Amino acid sequence: MKQRLTSIGIALVALVLLLPVAASAQSPWQWQQSLKVEQVGDSMYMPSAVAFDAAGERYYVVDTGRNRLVSFDREGRIIRAFTADDQLRSPFDMVRLTSGQLWVVEKGGNSLTLIDPAARLLETHQLLDGSRRVFPDRIAVQGQQLFVLDRAGGEVLRLGADLKVVQRFSCNSCNGGISDFVLAEDGLLALAGRDRKLLRFAADGSLQRTMELGPEVDFAVSVAIGPSGFIYVLDRHQNSVLVYDEAGRFRYRFLTTGHSTGRLYFARQVRFDPWGNLCVVDEGNGRVEIFSR
Amino acid sequence: MRHLSRTVRAAAVAALLVLLSCSMVLAVDCFQCHDGSDYRKKVNHQPAAQGDCLSCHSPHVARYSGLLQQSVKDLCLTCHVDTAVGGDRQRIHQPVRSGDCLACHSPHAADYAGLLKEQPVNTCLGCHKELPHSYPNTHEPYRSGNCQACHQPHQSDHAYLLVKAADELCLTCHRPAEVVNKHPGFPTPPANCSSCHHPHGSERKGLIRNQLHTAYAKGCADCHVGSRPVGMDACLGCHPQVAQEMASSHNHLVRYGANGCTACHSPHAGDDERLLKGTERHVCGECHEATFVRHENAAFSHERTDRCSDCHASHGSNHPAMMRGPINEVCGDCHGNHATFSHPIGADVFDPRTGQMMTCGSCHATKGSDYEYHTPFSGKRALCVQCHANY
Repeated sequence: MKQRLTSIGIALVALVLLLPVAASAQSPWQWQQSLKVEQVGDSMYMPSAVAFDAAGERYYVVDTGRNRLVSFDREGRIIRAFTADDQLRSPFDMVRLTSGQLWVVEKGGNSLTLIDPAARLLETHQLLDGSRRVFPDRIAVQGQQLFVLDRAGGEVLRLGADLKVVQRFSCNSCNGGISDFVLAEDGLLALAGRDRKLLRFAADGSLQRTMELGPEVDFAVSVAIGPSGFIYVLDRHQNSVLVYDEAGRFRYRFLTTGHSTGRLYFARQVRFDPWGNLCVVDEGNGRVEIFSR
Repeated sequence: MRHLSRTVRAAAVAALLVLLSCSMVLAVDCFQCHDGSDYRKKVNHQPAAQGDCLSCHSPHVARYSGLLQQSVKDLCLTCHVDTAVGGDRQRIHQPVRSGDCLACHSPHAADYAGLLKEQPVNTCLGCHKELPHSYPNTHEPYRSGNCQACHQPHQSDHAYLLVKAADELCLTCHRPAEVVNKHPGFPTPPANCSSCHHPHGSERKGLIRNQLHTAYAKGCADCHVGSRPVGMDACLGCHPQVAQEMASSHNHLVRYGANGCTACHSPHAGDDERLLKGTERHVCGECHEATFVRHENAAFSHERTDRCSDCHASHGSNHPAMMRGPINEVCGDCHGNHATFSHPIGADVFDPRTGQMMTCGSCHATKGSDYEYHTPFSGKRALCVQCHANY
């Protein structure tokens, strides 16, 4: 009897000790800060992307609704709001090159626009894939290589220096095409949202692996790879981030709908910053929420 | 010992007889008040026919109307397991999803197969009032009221609750060789039949949909060159307004074969000038089915409308949720008076939580919620203290 009571006691103590661990395993991410414009009446409106300058320790937020790019330091303080002399038209995504130049996707002009802020230079480029018009959506850069998601074609295009297509990453078995992508060391990870698939491509464009997303997903719009290799999928309608391991097995979800700090309202993009923090571009709340472990 | 065993057996037989007689008495008791003839028709529900009233009803008190032991949905699915809603991507008929089995079926007896309350076609048309009873040219299954020749009544893996994938279904009756013969000059094997043909009926012969694409009415050469796929550029070349609408932060540019326009539009013929491939409920539902389900299942939601374009811009817009204008204006088109007595909204009022402009969407979730007026929190207090914490 005494032995049984001792066993029950040990089990209870273990349960009490392990409960917080189990709970934190469900939600290891803690809100750290928001990138937002506090000035009343001038808050960001429908931001759609976040980009980074690792060397300069800056965040750039594409403030689509106000046709500007807003830069922040690592502590979330605004550095500058850049409008390219009011020439930007519905900017949607951007990358910053080491030279300081910016490539910006402008939905309003269906263009890929090169901006050199120092030289006050702005060049718009309408892209063609053969004779077909390209509709740039997401953009990424790796070294000198520029990658653009063609929304109408549903495929990622790697562009040469002359902006001609030199490589394509496509899913022939997908109905809806690719809706977001991130570059990986050995290729590219893409999200086919409508098909509920994650696609791993090799650098040569060959499709290496397809991972099916399960019924836990409603409307996946963005994907990111964490420092440990886990895959983070943003569900716009559930306002949740769904986490998968490298093999594509669903592990857990976090975040929910709302307007308070740390909640999301029609979130648009998920990315990891160079310092390992998870950034969620929250379109409906006009901010970027940053979470750390 | 042998004597004891005989006694036990006798007692068991007696108990069985008592139980049997009790159940008969119960059945007789029900029909002493409830006219038995009301429960016997051409088709009878097995429990009712066997007088097993207690399999569904409680005799004295119950939590559910009709003295039912459970809700209608739960009760029906106890036996009709195969009708249970399952599968992630399946299309589920709205009455099934909401558990309204009695919308179509009689619980005790009926004159029609499947315990339908009315003839099958009238059961369908009772809700689908947008469908006419006939067309100048009517598809035979539709003319004969055989909806189930093409549609599943409860759930399906295919749009429109079709029993098979659309083209495969057509070819069940229309032999492939016959189809090819009737489409001379087609550069590829004919497919996607409902792109040109209305599956129910039409004013045109061959069930060609009523509204022809101007280019198609003139012939094929305006768009087609040989067997080369016709790309989106061909569409946007003639529809520059659409190209302009697509040049928005939110747009419906999608990949769909070689031409994203054909995800929603038929290039040849449609039911109205938009040449949509079906009703908005179904065309939009191809990608946004979960949104419809959320809307339909919500305890409180905006009055149901299957015309998404009442509020949303179909091609693209620079407004949140691809609304066709600023949200307060879109809502104000129908709820104009609300602005005169509601909480302040508009360009000069800001949500303290986010700094965003206060809109109708700040307090109402159009796709529904658990609370009256489809507010995201209870309107009695919880909603207000989201911003007015000190009150």
